[in-house]
Amino acid sequence: MTDPLDTTWATIQTGVDVILNDFEAGLTYEKYMALYTTIYNYCTSLKGNPSSISGSLQQKGANLMGADLYKKLKDHLKGHLISLMKEHDGNNDALLQFYTVQWEKYTRAGTYIHHVFKYLNRHWVKREIDEGHKHIYDINTLALVSWRDHLFMLIQAKIMDAVLLLIERQRNGETIEQSLIKNVVDSFVALGLDENDSTKATLDVYKLYFEQPFIAATELYYKSESETFLSDNSITDYMKKAEKRLEEEDVRVQLFLHESSKKPLISKCEAVLIKSHTLAIQDEFQQLLNQDQVEDLKRMYGLLSRVPEGLDKLRVIFETHVRRQGDAAVEKVAEAAANAASAEGGDAAAGGGEGGDEEEEKPKPKKKGKPTAPGADVAVDPKVYVEALLEVHKKYNELVMNAFRGESGFVSSLDKACKEFVNRNKVCNVGSSKSPELLAKFCDSLLRKSSKVAEDREVEEILNSIMTVFKYVEDKDVFQKFYSKMLAKRLVNSTSASDDAEASMISKLKEACGFEYTSKLQRMFTDMSLSKDLNDSFREQMEKTHEKDDVLDFSIYVLNTACWPLQASASGFNVPEDLVKTYERFQGFYQQKHSGRKLNWHFLLSKGELKANYCKASKTGYTYQLSTFQMGILLQYNTALKYSWEDLLGATGLNPETLASQMAMLAKAKVLLISDGTMGSAGSKYELNLNFKSPRVRINFNIPGKTEAKAETEETHKTIEEDRKLLIQAAIVRIMKTRKVLKNQILMTEVLNQLASRFKPKVSDIKKCIEILIDKEYIERKEGEADMFSYLA
Amino acid sequence: MVKITSSDNQEFTIAKEIANQSVLIKNMLEDVGEADDQPIPLPNVSGAILQKVIDYATMHKDDPPAPPEEESKPKSSEDIEERDKEFMNVDQGTLFEIILAANYLDMKNLLDLGCKTVANMIKGKTVEEIRKTFNIVNDFTPEEEEQIRKENEWCEDR
Repeated sequence: MTDPLDTTWATIQTGVDVILNDFEAGLTYEKYMALYTTIYNYCTSLKGNPSSISGSLQQKGANLMGADLYKKLKDHLKGHLISLMKEHDGNNDALLQFYTVQWEKYTRAGTYIHHVFKYLNRHWVKREIDEGHKHIYDINTLALVSWRDHLFMLIQAKIMDAVLLLIERQRNGETIEQSLIKNVVDSFVALGLDENDSTKATLDVYKLYFEQPFIAATELYYKSESETFLSDNSITDYMKKAEKRLEEEDVRVQLFLHESSKKPLISKCEAVLIKSHTLAIQDEFQQLLNQDQVEDLKRMYGLLSRVPEGLDKLRVIFETHVRRQGDAAVEKVAEAAANAASAEGGDAAAGGGEGGDEEEEKPKPKKKGKPTAPGADVAVDPKVYVEALLEVHKKYNELVMNAFRGESGFVSSLDKACKEFVNRNKVCNVGSSKSPELLAKFCDSLLRKSSKVAEDREVEEILNSIMTVFKYVEDKDVFQKFYSKMLAKRLVNSTSASDDAEASMISKLKEACGFEYTSKLQRMFTDMSLSKDLNDSFREQMEKTHEKDDVLDFSIYVLNTACWPLQASASGFNVPEDLVKTYERFQGFYQQKHSGRKLNWHFLLSKGELKANYCKASKTGYTYQLSTFQMGILLQYNTALKYSWEDLLGATGLNPETLASQMAMLAKAKVLLISDGTMGSAGSKYELNLNFKSPRVRINFNIPGKTEAKAETEETHKTIEEDRKLLIQAAIVRIMKTRKVLKNQILMTEVLNQLASRFKPKVSDIKKCIEILIDKEYIERKEGEADMFSYLA
Repeated sequence: MVKITSSDNQEFTIAKEIANQSVLIKNMLEDVGEADDQPIPLPNVSGAILQKVIDYATMHKDDPPAPPEEESKPKSSEDIEERDKEFMNVDQGTLFEIILAANYLDMKNLLDLGCKTVANMIKGKTVEEIRKTFNIVNDFTPEEEEQIRKENEWCEDR
């Protein structure tokens, strides 16, 4: 009796061979079904053990038969692969060709056989695996395992040699047949079988036999390439090369490697191509910055950002560079201003000094500066100065955004550098508060009516850029001071160009520094609108109670002293008779409305118009626009035509300095003629010029002298010092009140912290303030403990 | 459309998605490729049973794909759909042949249904009743029977 296994196997083997060797040629539905059915029947039949009847034995029989088939198939696959091995020959491409063709054929056959043996898989193999038997796989895996053990392990080294050679040729620029490598990779990946769970795959085989040698070869290749290239080429060219290489490797992964290789491959490439040359690349950075090579800088950033700590050095260099550029820009401004100043002072030849522009109120420098060494107190045009700062910031901000992709480290380097050169530079040598002062002046020139910038949008843009500089300013209190001063002037003189622009700027400041910073500024606007109503009701009342020709055209601003940085004139003033009536009427009107409020009259800031009918040269007469002081002077000439200096002093009640400065314009325009001395000298006489002539009908004499502006600036700076002392003291008291007892060191730090948003107090100033507070008995030194203070309630 | 032939040479022409419910046929179509006129021979299934199987597959052709093995809840013989119960209302011989066919054709759902049906036939019956139901001759010696009873004492529920 023939063994049923043998006959069955004979049938199966024929089918399997067809599948393995010659699948396309000849498997019909019928044969396929026959094969499946044979295996099915064999596994389900009990004919193999006709004598056994008992249940347990039956089961065993089926098991044995499954095992038989499995073993037969396993042996057969082994035989097939061994004979396949004998077939292979050739090296490199031929070998790869052979391997991939055979692999493809074999794996496809593996799937078919797996299906044909499905019944075995479903029952016998499943039970074996469930019971934890090692080295029993489903048929597909069996096929792969067999391939791995009987073919792959024998030739994988040779295959890898061929693969690596092929990749090297591609790296050298040759066109290769990538599918060969792709197939090899796929087969390496497919052979990663988990011995414990055939449904799971591992990458062990691929990692060990493919990735490792591949990465090693890559390292070798790029190490030698980068070294050779660098010895013959510049860093910039090398960076291009490295960038291109990294891109290529990235593409390589996508083209024919397993995606898991991306990380090790790319990081190896980064190590070889970038990290080992970090220093050389970093050394080139300064050079590129000097030449503004944005593309190369971008490339350098791209490369060095890939390696750890690659950028650190760049950030430092960048910061120093920006700082230097800022300083240089400011120096240039200072020099130009000095040149212009010396040209102005010397010849008329250099009419159009660079920084000169024709800013109306460009304060003229007192002293002449030498062109080569700009004097310390050369007046710098705020616009030119701020624009110079902005230009540097804008340039490097763009660089950070474009070349360094806005990376936070570079942003903070830029910020640090800007903060440095904004607060400490050539112009600021004069005083650390120079930047905020100039910035505020620039704001003023922008927001005043005379501003040349027409478009609202443009103003808004410039205001935004001002805020950029403002952000870097340390002495924000100085800015606030100057800004509020100039805002007050704009409002009082109604020279503000646009309410919208004013409001926009204030809201920007509020956003940057908080409500407190701008509350007074906002209050100023409130006063302005309240004053409007007040004027209306005053006018109404006057119309009711007085004859029309008894009422002067009069308007007034009533402003809260606490909010307005207005300085009362040091001089006294006799209100001219023609105005006294109105002056008193309003005083009365206001007291009635708000009893208990005190009105301080700022005649220095007031102005008015006089109609001059005495001039022989004009029939219609002129209209003089005058300060109230000037009105006080000129109105004297209604009674006489000539006064001595002493007469005028007595009549107007002004002090000599004020009188002299108020007279200056009148004398210069020859409204008054001086005789018997110079302006302000004892005994000098001043006569009304009846032959006064002017091409214009309205003439403005109310122009503040330059010296006044200068003095005011100095005055402002002085008040800032005073304010700061108070602020520091207030901060100390606040801190001590909450902490009760505190060490000197900690107190310092806290004070610095609290005031950081306003200004940077000097340590010596804080110490001084502590002394003051000890004197005032707010705090005391703690006995027996050095450097300790305690709060006195 | 797919043509299939039973062991007794009856030919059936059915839609592919119905045929594909048999993993065997599905795999084969994928492996060998489709050849329109060629019928697929199924030498282990008779025409009558094949018709039943096709009926079942047609009935279930729109079922959602079954969840993967691990996620499905433990099997119970209770959760049989009404239409399936009706479908399985056949004589015992047919029932067994359907089970065999399902096993052969690799149709998991049908195989499960068959097994559940048989399980329900066993449930709640004594050994004797079971023997009677399935027409089993007791060929154990008394010793063997005693031995088995002992081994399976744990599952007696009284």
